[in-house]
Amino acid sequence: MKIDIHTHTKKCKSGDASTREIAPIDFCETIQSTDVGIIAITNHNVFDLDQFTEIVDIIGDDAQVWPGVELDVQEDGVRGHLIVIVSPKMAKGFSRVLDDITKDSTPDSFKTTIEQILEKFEDFNPLYVTHYKQKTPNIPDKALEKLMTRTANPRRVIKEVTNSISAGIYISHGHASIYGSDVHDWSTYEEKSHDLPDLRLPIENFDHFCLLLEKDPTTINTLLDKKIAEILNLTPFDDATLLKLKVFNDINVIFGPKGTGKSCILKAIAKYYRDTGIDAKVYEPASDRLDELFDTRGRDLSLNLNSYDINYCKDEIEAIREASEGGITSLSKYEIYFRIKSTNKNAKRIKLKDIEPEEEGVAKREFVEFNDFVEKTTEFIAFLKGHTSVKKELSTEEIEEVTRILSNLLNRMVNREWESYSGWKEIYLLNSAIEKFRTEVERKTGSPAKPTTTGFREYALNRERIEANAAEIIKSLDTNIQIFKEAVGSLGTNKGELELRTEFKFQDGTISDGSLHKLKAVNKSQQKMFAKTVREIFKHAYEDDLFQHVAKLNAIEDVEKIETVYELLLFKRYFALNGLQYSPSSGEASMVMLQKELETDKEVYILDEPERSLGNEYINDVIVPLIKEIARAGKKVFISTHDANIAVRTLPYSSVYRRHGPAGYTTHVGNPFSNNLVNPNDEKDRLDWKKVSMRTLEGGEEAFGERGKIYGND
Amino acid sequence: MESEEKYMETIKATVVELKKKHFIKIETGDEEIKIPISEDKPNEVKSAFNKLIARIKMGEFEIELEGIGQDLFSQVANEYVTQLNREIQEVRGEMKAYGLVNN
Repeated sequence: MKIDIHTHTKKCKSGDASTREIAPIDFCETIQSTDVGIIAITNHNVFDLDQFTEIVDIIGDDAQVWPGVELDVQEDGVRGHLIVIVSPKMAKGFSRVLDDITKDSTPDSFKTTIEQILEKFEDFNPLYVTHYKQKTPNIPDKALEKLMTRTANPRRVIKEVTNSISAGIYISHGHASIYGSDVHDWSTYEEKSHDLPDLRLPIENFDHFCLLLEKDPTTINTLLDKKIAEILNLTPFDDATLLKLKVFNDINVIFGPKGTGKSCILKAIAKYYRDTGIDAKVYEPASDRLDELFDTRGRDLSLNLNSYDINYCKDEIEAIREASEGGITSLSKYEIYFRIKSTNKNAKRIKLKDIEPEEEGVAKREFVEFNDFVEKTTEFIAFLKGHTSVKKELSTEEIEEVTRILSNLLNRMVNREWESYSGWKEIYLLNSAIEKFRTEVERKTGSPAKPTTTGFREYALNRERIEANAAEIIKSLDTNIQIFKEAVGSLGTNKGELELRTEFKFQDGTISDGSLHKLKAVNKSQQKMFAKTVREIFKHAYEDDLFQHVAKLNAIEDVEKIETVYELLLFKRYFALNGLQYSPSSGEASMVMLQKELETDKEVYILDEPERSLGNEYINDVIVPLIKEIARAGKKVFISTHDANIAVRTLPYSSVYRRHGPAGYTTHVGNPFSNNLVNPNDEKDRLDWKKVSMRTLEGGEEAFGERGKIYGND
Repeated sequence: MESEEKYMETIKATVVELKKKHFIKIETGDEEIKIPISEDKPNEVKSAFNKLIARIKMGEFEIELEGIGQDLFSQVANEYVTQLNREIQEVRGEMKAYGLVNN
């Protein structure tokens, strides 16, 4: 959730842009399209109660809208701006007071003093937000000091600066700072709202926010208690010291100098969760494991060809390997038949033997066609009847109508199926009878029967089958398989997204690419020879030397290992950046490994110095947002770190600080919201969270400079 | 099927005697197909069959034997060509069913 403590809804002063004007309904729609959950309306010297009330009514529970005003303050002849924000409960009274002090002037001419502001608004317990330094026109230091010293609660005075960097710098120097949109053009608000400060803790209302500003321990503890937490009793060290840690379903950071046992604590945490049955292990950066992690050698790589409508060609390969030349009818049989005339009277009487056999193929194909139709139509009718989507889409009458038409068609086709079947079998029986009678007459009389076939049909069909099988194998081998792309991780905004690419190619008989590896245990040269020979078989299907090529195929070493085209697959797996092959550096490997760890869905994430080998920019832009996202999802994140970017910018619910001093090792536990780190064994041993973080962590000061983005403490 | 039947080509064949050996000589235009009928030479017959299959892929045809006499080899050739024609039609049908024909 984001907060915006400075917005305008009206053009009040002559210098205000007209794009600051916004109707209540548009205001609400704009806010609802952003992550902004708290917004203060702070027009120049004006508070429009009616508009405020309308907005509150429309926006409902989608956001908290706080009433406020941006006042022109003149002190010692210098003009500056000061925002006064009050609780929505006091909107009416606030409006009355403001109307009273502004009634004799216009928004352009109105000016007030710190003294008048305190006199008129102090009873409202407001939040004062002063323009500070580069945020002009600013309130001079002297006037600011006056405000701080005279107000009942100086912690409710916040300095408004221009951006997150400035806010962070001032915070690190002890100034409570914040920044708002100071919107000039509502049409760009949605985009600009991304830069507004985040609220790490859930703010219930205006008073709640003010209590947090005051670092009220009860308020902070109440908020922390609302978060799911548990107590871990750990014995991470050799001396069996018991470490009792309250950890949250959020970010828990362990920090401190090297050699103070942070990794031991993480290991103990992992063990604790493993013992309770939760999958937990400590993630340690190891850039050399990237290839292993992504299996670039393809040890576990496989591909389901069915998903790509590619035939494995098991039957086709087997048929080609077993193919042999068919026999043909010897011409001498014809010659003998015509040379030796049958003189047997009975033989002459049997006319059936002299009938010419009929062609069977067409009748058979016709039957197969009808049979296939009947099968598929029967299945389809059953599918229609049983499919819930069809029932939803069509009325009972419509389903009955469709079924009736299909059933009629099916009945007709069943008749045709039987007709074609009997026609086919009629020819089959006739041909069988002719063949039988010829054989019997030949056997009984000794006179050779007239051959019934030249053998051409069987000879041709045998070659046809070889051609068709070879064509099917070649079709599979010639199929292009799309490159598989798997996101590995971001290498930062400048470089882009690293991806893992897996290319599969069939050895089609022409590939000589050394970078391609065999997928199965078949030698690459044998794969190539196999594919090449199948092409030759296809090419020579109707040539005299066909079976020489079949023999060549069978002579390939380990040919029996090639049972399907799957054994002819080659692959290449590599990392790619912007479409080109890329070898990530060890730092980049660490980046993507950490991203992968964080993108894996788990209950508990335990990261040991994840910042190792990583740049600040990458930690800020990629890793910290990922960690926050995981935390928002209610997962437990434990991070041991030396890096302030992680320890500070994530604003952990729990910070565990380990150090080694004259009294040996000590542990302090706290959080940035209370700004305390307390030794559980000695409540009086307290440290300042911010100071310790700045001193201990690498990049501490810079991290605080950025932390202004996140409202947490001063 | 209708158009194929309509335009079915007829290829002429004759019985020829070369060096006292008889052949069925089929004139396919591009090349000559010879089937030995007076002696058993299966490889030569197979080679002729291969040429016939290649020709079937080009289009449907029928062999017409010309100059049929009463001699033994004419009778053998006549019977052989009759059967061959029937089988050519069957093979053409199968090829079409498998999508192996050129047109």
